[in-house]
Amino acid sequence: MNATVSITKPSLHQRVFDVLSKFRLIPRIETYPSVVSFAQTPLGRIILLALFSRGLRVFLPNWRSTLIIVLFIALMTFLPEHRRLVLALGSFALLVKEEHWNPLLLCLDMAVIALGVLLYWSAMRWPKSHFGQRPIAFLLTGLTVLILSASAAAPQSFSYSILWPLVGAAVSYVWFIAYVLTDRNSRPAKDLTLELTALRPLWGSTNTPFPKGAAYLRRIEAQNPEQLAVVQLKGLKLLAWAILLAVFQGLWLNFFHGKLRIPTADQALAMSVQGSPVVWHLRWESLILGFFESILTMSILGHRIIAGCRMAGFNALRNTYRPLSSRTIAEFFNRFYYYFKELLVDFFFYPVFLRYWKGHRRLRMVCATFAAAFFGNAFYHFTRDWQIIRDKGLWITSANFESYLLYCFILALGLSISQLRKRAPRPGSIIRGTLFPVLGVCLFFCLLSIFDSTVKDYPFVEHMRFFASLFFIRF
Amino acid sequence: MEYKDEIREFVHNLLVRNGDAESLADQESLLRSGRLQSIDAVEIVIFLEEKFGIDFTKIGFDQEQIDSVDAIVALIQSASSKAY
Repeated sequence: MNATVSITKPSLHQRVFDVLSKFRLIPRIETYPSVVSFAQTPLGRIILLALFSRGLRVFLPNWRSTLIIVLFIALMTFLPEHRRLVLALGSFALLVKEEHWNPLLLCLDMAVIALGVLLYWSAMRWPKSHFGQRPIAFLLTGLTVLILSASAAAPQSFSYSILWPLVGAAVSYVWFIAYVLTDRNSRPAKDLTLELTALRPLWGSTNTPFPKGAAYLRRIEAQNPEQLAVVQLKGLKLLAWAILLAVFQGLWLNFFHGKLRIPTADQALAMSVQGSPVVWHLRWESLILGFFESILTMSILGHRIIAGCRMAGFNALRNTYRPLSSRTIAEFFNRFYYYFKELLVDFFFYPVFLRYWKGHRRLRMVCATFAAAFFGNAFYHFTRDWQIIRDKGLWITSANFESYLLYCFILALGLSISQLRKRAPRPGSIIRGTLFPVLGVCLFFCLLSIFDSTVKDYPFVEHMRFFASLFFIRF
Repeated sequence: MEYKDEIREFVHNLLVRNGDAESLADQESLLRSGRLQSIDAVEIVIFLEEKFGIDFTKIGFDQEQIDSVDAIVALIQSASSKAY
């Protein structure tokens, strides 16, 4: 029997790439059986919790805040059968701790949570009603009406002093409640405690729920001591990553903005607005540095939060995962701020995609992408910055929002094209298949970041002027 | 269950397109594990709509329904039993 086996030797590029991609700065301790076994013992758990609390302290203002979180995580570690109840109590305790100095704020937060529970119960009770069919649309319309009412209230009036804090409480909970309402479709979605655990959980979050809602938590929950040990080791590793990145960020900022005196992206824009722009190459340098700094900031924030989530026994995906390896715009958007992208997909993309333009595949995709990346993105950020609406008024804020609207439009356009093209990896072509696409994606987001300003300090034309000046165009 | 192979092949092609050549068990998570992304979920939705006539506006949509080959098979069975 003649058998010919052809063995293709990988190229030098490929071998270097393979070695680099397998390199781990922090070893994969969760794959070492002896470490996993030890992490299941009481002593192992205590050591993990002690290490975690030391690491978490780096990011929190004092030991008291750190130990409160670690105490609840310890309870979840040693009493996994009561994990959801402890999580709900812990999140509630943190809320009371943070806002006990302001009873009005605490009461309003409670009122918003109670409203969320009522909406969830109503959607479950009357699934065929108008509200039961589209609870998210009702919720977001309600928030809009609340903001409009607050804007209409006269300053210093009683309604003004109640409505704006209520807007603040509603905005901080609205996407959490939206996930609670979405979870009514999940099976089983009977236990209200499960839903309450997902309302601003104790490991922290932005206004975007990390990681999504209660149904998602149920799916990623550790089911036995071994899974818990693995997920906690992964959490500890992620926290170590966050600390390393924070140290690197400090050195980076000190070197580029301290020693080399390159202005930050915000400073470069501000100087351009004041009529004394920095030289051309510094504008580019500040922009490129700003792009990398935004990735670092997002990674540190997301890693810290997801590390806490994993220590509590939930194997959540990272929020930021190798964004600089993205070969397409859609891939970068997915890898940069995963849970915000998921929010847009869950509440804006799918509702449009599943309902409209079913016979037109491309049009359907583009419409759903615009609903998410343009409308949803703009709505999220406009309502998130409610203090600016309160301070500057609705109309001025809306007028100054046009820069961010352009940002959302270009992003939605880029995502639509990226999704329709669906570029597959080109094997064996690292420069053309990987390097060029990656650089192209970075350049796209780098330039787009000029318009990624929700602060609403400068008129749209100033952002355009700064953008044009990068290409020697002045107006 | 002849359509299970079809689903397996479709999912396998999605994974390969994303540069993921590792094997996949029928019960293994696709989305929760991060092996497929939301955009891939959209392709699975289109595939199920076109190939099996599933209308998600009627049955409701949850990513868990399409999170594994087994879950997709269960979804098709449940949708077809409701249809008859």
